[in-house]
Amino acid sequence: MAKDHGPAQNNSATDRPPRVEAAALSAAFVTAIRRAGLATSPDRAARLAEALHLIPPAQLEQLYWTCRVVLVSAREQVPLFDAVFAAVFGANAGTALPDRVARAAVPVPPAPQPRTRPAAPGTREAGTAPGTDQHPRVASPGQDSSAQGRRADRDAVLAMVSADEHLHEASFAELSADEVGEVRRLAAALQLATPLRLSRRTRTSAHSTASLDVRATVRAARRSGTDAPLLLYARRREQRRKLVLLCDVSGSMEAYARVFVSLLQGAVTGAGAEAFVFSTRLTRLTRQLALRDPDQALARAAVSAPDWASGTRIAECLRRFVDEHGRRGLARGAVVVVFSDGWAYEDPDQVAAQMARLRRLAHRIIWVNPRKAAPQYQPLVGGMAAALPYCDAFVSGHSYRALVELTAAIRGDGAQPGQRHGRARGKEPAHAN
Amino acid sequence: MTAAARAGAEEDVRRRVPDVGSLMAALDRTNYLADAGLATALFLAVRLPQPILLEGEAGVGKTEAAKALAELLDTPLYRLQCYEGIDAGEALYEWNHQRQLLGIRLAEVRDTEVTETDLFAPQYLLRRPLLQALEHPGPRPAVLLLDEIDRADAEFEAFTFELLAESAVTIPELGTIRATHPPIVILTSNRTRDLHDALTRRCLYHWIDYPGPARIAEIVRRRVPASSGPLALQAAAVITRLRTLDLAKPPGISEAIDWVSALAVLGVARIDPGITEQTWGSIVKNRDDLELIGSRGAAWLVEGTDG
Repeated sequence: MAKDHGPAQNNSATDRPPRVEAAALSAAFVTAIRRAGLATSPDRAARLAEALHLIPPAQLEQLYWTCRVVLVSAREQVPLFDAVFAAVFGANAGTALPDRVARAAVPVPPAPQPRTRPAAPGTREAGTAPGTDQHPRVASPGQDSSAQGRRADRDAVLAMVSADEHLHEASFAELSADEVGEVRRLAAALQLATPLRLSRRTRTSAHSTASLDVRATVRAARRSGTDAPLLLYARRREQRRKLVLLCDVSGSMEAYARVFVSLLQGAVTGAGAEAFVFSTRLTRLTRQLALRDPDQALARAAVSAPDWASGTRIAECLRRFVDEHGRRGLARGAVVVVFSDGWAYEDPDQVAAQMARLRRLAHRIIWVNPRKAAPQYQPLVGGMAAALPYCDAFVSGHSYRALVELTAAIRGDGAQPGQRHGRARGKEPAHAN
Repeated sequence: MTAAARAGAEEDVRRRVPDVGSLMAALDRTNYLADAGLATALFLAVRLPQPILLEGEAGVGKTEAAKALAELLDTPLYRLQCYEGIDAGEALYEWNHQRQLLGIRLAEVRDTEVTETDLFAPQYLLRRPLLQALEHPGPRPAVLLLDEIDRADAEFEAFTFELLAESAVTIPELGTIRATHPPIVILTSNRTRDLHDALTRRCLYHWIDYPGPARIAEIVRRRVPASSGPLALQAAAVITRLRTLDLAKPPGISEAIDWVSALAVLGVARIDPGITEQTWGSIVKNRDDLELIGSRGAAWLVEGTDG
């Protein structure tokens, strides 16, 4: 790192010498960051100005760290931040910049989303659904009118009552565009509830249990002022298990994924579930799907997962899920639902190995495979056959009715006897940690 | 929280931590090696002052950073290990009811009178880390470490931040306790869930990268004085090479320290495949990983690490 490498001479695209007033520099840089798509709040600019006041940016590296510490709030934002920083503060300052920035010094257009954000109407491959010029691919037919989206919540209840049998039974792959829209609203409204487990928290109970709650007893006695107080006991509260949904959005699942993603969205907003999609890579979508407006949520989700409708790498995505999220606690004691047809160009042994790892963390694994609905279906696809021994339930989820079965499987009362606590598993985690 | 409203750090703290370079040097003196990024982050946390959220792989020294900071400021560290279901009684304060009951019984026996104010006096208060950090008398602010905040419930997260923003807590029986020296707050997270926007908005953020072999070796040398000569560097090279494998639990810095300590106890001066295989238990803690490494062989790990 060149110690005497003042950034004054290698200047920026915005023509701002570093000696410029901290406030102006902060405001300009925060604006650039926001334009690039990094969420920042207005008070960050003020904070950055203060920080620059405390740490005068004598070196570019120092400026880099100051800006990054103040403006970045998650690791995922670092590459984008680096690109913007390099673009704004000059690519020819390579020696003074930390390696990562130097490498990113070629100005990257903010948030390129090749597959999901149509560049120009003519450039998309032929055959995509009409009406996708505003919305990315998932928010395809039926949802494009924003008026419909706003109505969605209200309509879900009505639709639940009025939707005809046809819609309930039909496979998602056979539905027309309008019907898909209808079913997606229904799917988003499904109530998902996981089994209960004992939580660390207690509640007071008058019935005798193992542990006397001295504090509650004393408090009660203080209130009533009697000498012979009512003994109160602590009872462990029950809590719903975590719910994690992993949805395959590869090309072979496309007809179903458009409905499943609505289900994911409903689960995230309604049941506090964690949602991921995968095809060639894994993308966590909980945040994007947490919006109340389903169309907007799906649009954001599509932008965040650029590998939509490409190939599948189930084992690799499962491995990444377990390594980066599952082991850290997200999957411990949770109900994990995988939506996939099991098609993947991978070694089935790898799928089995990753499923075994997931098995050791999760409370239940439910596999949803729409192809199961076909009468002649046999789980012979390599990945599927390898994964099946590790699943507690295997459901089709190809129609609305089948999705209702899925909710039963998630609750834990739909499992066949003997399958529910099937394999020898480690001790049940009483609390996730 | 505007720029004008913020008072900045106290005079004494400002004198101890005048700039990033001196903070880095001071951290170095406490045997904590920080790079420019982490030093900048900690400097801003101390001087703005503002809570800072540290993230990074397990074992990169998130908790150690808080300890080192407390040590160089010569101030106590209050650590709150978060877990699911943690509540105010475990984090902030609780009345010691058993002792209160005992106090009443004693008063009866001695035939003295107890009033309610006697029973809700400070000596019956069980102080938990948050309250301890707020009550810290100075002369410098305490360091408050909220470890693994992501494990606590979202409501607890909100409660904690409300309290820290106010730097005051009201105990109904005692009144309001206001911090004379608001603590320096360091949070760590393992990212098991997304933290609330309100929290990330109020915090500085730093992701601690995994260090390169030279830095690992330097850290190991400082922590394990017995690791003389090439041992630390060799071990660091092995650990770094191990991390290029696709392990479920890649060894961290703490594993490197454990391993070199183990080697030092065994009287090993130079790492060879044989001794590596005998001491796997210090660095690889997962059966799948052991199989994977076994297939590559200890010789592959050790070769070329001499010197």
